[in-house]
Amino acid sequence: MAITLISILALSVAVYFISKLSWKVGAVINALAGAYLMIYLFTLKVGSSEVLGTLFGEKLLLTYTNASFYFSFVSMLVILAVMVFAIKWLDSQKYPSAFNMFLLMMTAASLGVFFAGDLLTLYIFWEIAVLSSMLIVPMGKKEARRAAIIYAVMSATGTYMYLYASFMIYSRYGNFNLAEVAKDLANDPSMPFKVTVYLLLAAAGIAKSGIFPLHTWLRIAHGNAPDAFSAVLSGQLVKLGSYVLMLVTAFFPTLKMFQGLELYSKIPSPNYFLLALGATSIIVGTLMAIKQDDMKMLIAFSSVANGGYILVGIATMDAIGFEGGILHVFNHALAAAIIFMAFASVVYRTHTTKISEMGGLIHKMPITFISYLFAIISLAGIPPMSGFISKWMIYQALVRKGMFVTAFIAFFGSIGSFLYVFRPLAGVFLGQLPKKYKDVKEVPAIMWIPMVTLVAISFIMGVWPFPILKPIEAMRADFAISPSVKIADASNWLVRGVTGSWNPVIVFNLFIIGFAIAYLLYTLFPKPKKVDLLAPHKEEGAPINIYTGGEYIYTPDLYQYNTKMYAGFERMYEKHPSWEKVLDMLCKFFHDLGQLVHGWFFRPSPSAYAFWTVMTLLIVFWVRW
Amino acid sequence: MTGVYKAIFNLAIAFFFVLTLEGIGRKITARVQRRIGPPWYQSFIDVFKALSKHPFSNGWIFDFGVLMALGGAIATAAIVPMGSTFWTPFPNTDNFFVIMYLFAVGALGMAMGMVGSGNPWASIGVTRALTQMLGYELPYLIVLASMMFYYKTASIHLLIEKQAGGWNLLVMPIGAIVAFISLLGMLGKKPFDIAIAPAEIASGPMVELSGKYLGLLHIMHVFSIFVEITLFVDVFLGGGNFWWFLLKFLIVWILAVLISSVLPRFRIEQMLKFYWGVPLGLAFLNAFFVLMGWTL
Amino acid sequence: MKERTVWEQIADQLRSRSIWMLHYCTGCGAMELPPTMTARFDMERFGIMPMATPRQADILLITGYLNTKTLRRVIYTYEQMADPKYVIGFGSCTINGGIYYDSYSTINRLDYYIPVDVYIAGCMPRPEAILEAFQYLMEKIRKGEADGWKRYKENYEWYKQNQIRSLGEVYVHDEFHE
Repeated sequence: MAITLISILALSVAVYFISKLSWKVGAVINALAGAYLMIYLFTLKVGSSEVLGTLFGEKLLLTYTNASFYFSFVSMLVILAVMVFAIKWLDSQKYPSAFNMFLLMMTAASLGVFFAGDLLTLYIFWEIAVLSSMLIVPMGKKEARRAAIIYAVMSATGTYMYLYASFMIYSRYGNFNLAEVAKDLANDPSMPFKVTVYLLLAAAGIAKSGIFPLHTWLRIAHGNAPDAFSAVLSGQLVKLGSYVLMLVTAFFPTLKMFQGLELYSKIPSPNYFLLALGATSIIVGTLMAIKQDDMKMLIAFSSVANGGYILVGIATMDAIGFEGGILHVFNHALAAAIIFMAFASVVYRTHTTKISEMGGLIHKMPITFISYLFAIISLAGIPPMSGFISKWMIYQALVRKGMFVTAFIAFFGSIGSFLYVFRPLAGVFLGQLPKKYKDVKEVPAIMWIPMVTLVAISFIMGVWPFPILKPIEAMRADFAISPSVKIADASNWLVRGVTGSWNPVIVFNLFIIGFAIAYLLYTLFPKPKKVDLLAPHKEEGAPINIYTGGEYIYTPDLYQYNTKMYAGFERMYEKHPSWEKVLDMLCKFFHDLGQLVHGWFFRPSPSAYAFWTVMTLLIVFWVRW
Repeated sequence: MTGVYKAIFNLAIAFFFVLTLEGIGRKITARVQRRIGPPWYQSFIDVFKALSKHPFSNGWIFDFGVLMALGGAIATAAIVPMGSTFWTPFPNTDNFFVIMYLFAVGALGMAMGMVGSGNPWASIGVTRALTQMLGYELPYLIVLASMMFYYKTASIHLLIEKQAGGWNLLVMPIGAIVAFISLLGMLGKKPFDIAIAPAEIASGPMVELSGKYLGLLHIMHVFSIFVEITLFVDVFLGGGNFWWFLLKFLIVWILAVLISSVLPRFRIEQMLKFYWGVPLGLAFLNAFFVLMGWTL
Repeated sequence: MKERTVWEQIADQLRSRSIWMLHYCTGCGAMELPPTMTARFDMERFGIMPMATPRQADILLITGYLNTKTLRRVIYTYEQMADPKYVIGFGSCTINGGIYYDSYSTINRLDYYIPVDVYIAGCMPRPEAILEAFQYLMEKIRKGEADGWKRYKENYEWYKQNQIRSLGEVYVHDEFHE
């Protein structure tokens, strides 16, 4: 493991120089390296562990667990797709060689995070992943530099809390090893210490997966990053946060650690706190996504909401909720990656991300549209796709535990997701095609093949989810969370929850049969006459097009409804309090403070300098350092 | 295999019974307005007439959306149990959430196809329908969640069986009232027919539908009505044999029709404020009662 | 006239019992429709309903005089309706121009521009007359005689010539932008 990771890190630097000669070769090497890593994951044996090196006398440990396998598999799925996608897409970018290098570096580093066997290794790889991804972000739009800084600051806020907690643990137990720390924490008598460490460690995950108080970077970073990289950001990088959150809530025996702190339905209050944060981010993400006009920011906010789902699922401290949350990692990773790649394809052709400037692209880019359609079916959690299964599991856990307020928020997020995913669907792909896009073409095959492959995987896992549930079940067994029922019952084709079961195969077949019946009825009756949306019907010379109240419309752009779609609903929360504004105020405060100090110490006059120098020297002499 | 026959029977009942009920509903509305009204079989004539016409199509997504809508509705209607364990086509798959979300396939297909027609009225209608969904689904889901918590099952046929001692209408009357109000929104009946306001937005999503497309969507609507009312009857009005089920279905339908025939239409944010006011509050009250064990 | 197949006969039976009319009222005759729809005369008992858009509708009611500006929209709307479609000319204005027979801006005879299946004479016709006309139209549909939509297809050139003579070339050219 160690050799592979380090050689991939070294390869990433080599890729930079190769890309300088020809970025296409670099991109292909990237894709090959991704494919190799994908295969490599399956050759590794679960439970094997390796020493990466020593740092200050502490061994840096890599262990390969079921969780590592699952998370790295999902990551590699997304990254590999994006790497293949980038082979063609990169020709629209200014810095392809740096992109290639940092993408591969980030890949290796995030695998390192999942393989890490102790807190320090995790931190090191974490920082490599964050920094390399942070350097890709500014290659995007104009505002992307600011986005990168915000991303770095938010991420640093989380990671330093994490690092602080790691050192607290080290000073108490003399150990960074995750497994040992978990044991020590279970037996530790000091509750304040455990709660502090728990929350501080979780902070890294909260910052990374965009949970409520530290979610503001998602909008700006995902919205402004290079288009294909947004797919990695939202599909994979955010899942690093979910991984850490899973570690602190499920890998650490929180039920044992926080005995006596149970708040409601056997959930300890620190976990409940995280759950509440997750629920808040569902609300924030959903409400903000509904009102976005920029399609990438819209899906960025949906990532906030879905990160909330994952956290809620994991933090329920329930077998089915845990599985639902972890499965949602897979579902959201795939859905978000497909959606962002579809958007990257759209931007590749139209050079805009504003929903209000587009429309009717379906007749020009049908494959992109189909990919987007299936992805949103999965994202909204509608049955034939895999997204439904995880949402169903989370609902099971919430309902069974009687957590009605959280369940309400989860339902709200789910129905709200119908609203926001529909907005790009209607505004970008359906409706009238503006005249300026009449020559737009479908993207080349190398770009749509990864999208379609991910769609196929997501679809197959929706109909037959047992292969993907297998590692999750193994993971759950590792963490000793035992369910009351057999959740994935492959022999009976059933997915079971505490309050009932369902058969994905029957549901899929019923849908196919329903579609077949509908098609039969459709063919039975008179054939339709095809008409254009607005242009005069050529064959008969008479204008037969859409209903305009008997009026003639000559500019289709005006007949496209894609701004303020949910105006009636948006008006209800127009004056919402904004967390971003609070952070901006904080920013301004520190900036002003800096100005004050700056103005005080760095006077333009030489006499002030002389004064401060003398004062400093006097103090130094007086204290006699 | 019996499950398949039962599913086919479900579909047949859904089609013939609900279309008859639609005719009866129109008759009742007419009587309320002191008219004579059409005969009870008027809806059959309407559907088949629409199917017999020579339609227009606005591209493949339009066709595909209509097919997806009908396919989703058929799939959902095939799953729902009709008032007893015997009339449950697939006892392992009649989970409430599965039905609820499978139902959304039809809605999504309809939304996609109709917006694919390129008419802004259709888009406006669909956005209204989605916003309305945000309104009525939440109280309904909370009530159903509290019920699942109470009976420890989300399987509809088990919920029916557990009501042998007393109907849920009597066990948790507040929940039943809330669910009925949500049902009105789901059916798109009068105070909540915001999405298809014919006088404002030219029948909204259906604006471009002609001939058989209109007919197919009418059939989809019929299956949707079947699913919605059947869920309400199953969950709140207990079990019984098949004829009892039909009778309860009829009563719920007539009640909805009577309410809708005397009320005007809400505006979209009025509707949201309405649903997120009293019904949502009552739904949480019901959940609280269930948590405390204060059921009748 | 061609012999109808069995399916067409059945379809015509259905079409005669379910007539959806377009809510597109051109002249003063529209005033007579509300009493026809509501409790006093109740046309829903014959399966006649108002519909919102031409796509869904079966009959187009031309309720009164048509000036050339409106005629353009009427033709446009008529062509958006799905076959089979029927037209009812309402009041004497659609037959011979009525009291506007010598107006410079109205057309006198609707039949030149779109095929009319049933005329209702009168200025204005009472609801009784309207219901009578609907009954007559239903009878014609049942017999397969209400074939205005076929005539329009067959004699399309002739209709178009008339339309162009009165209105200018509206279909080919854009009246505002070219």
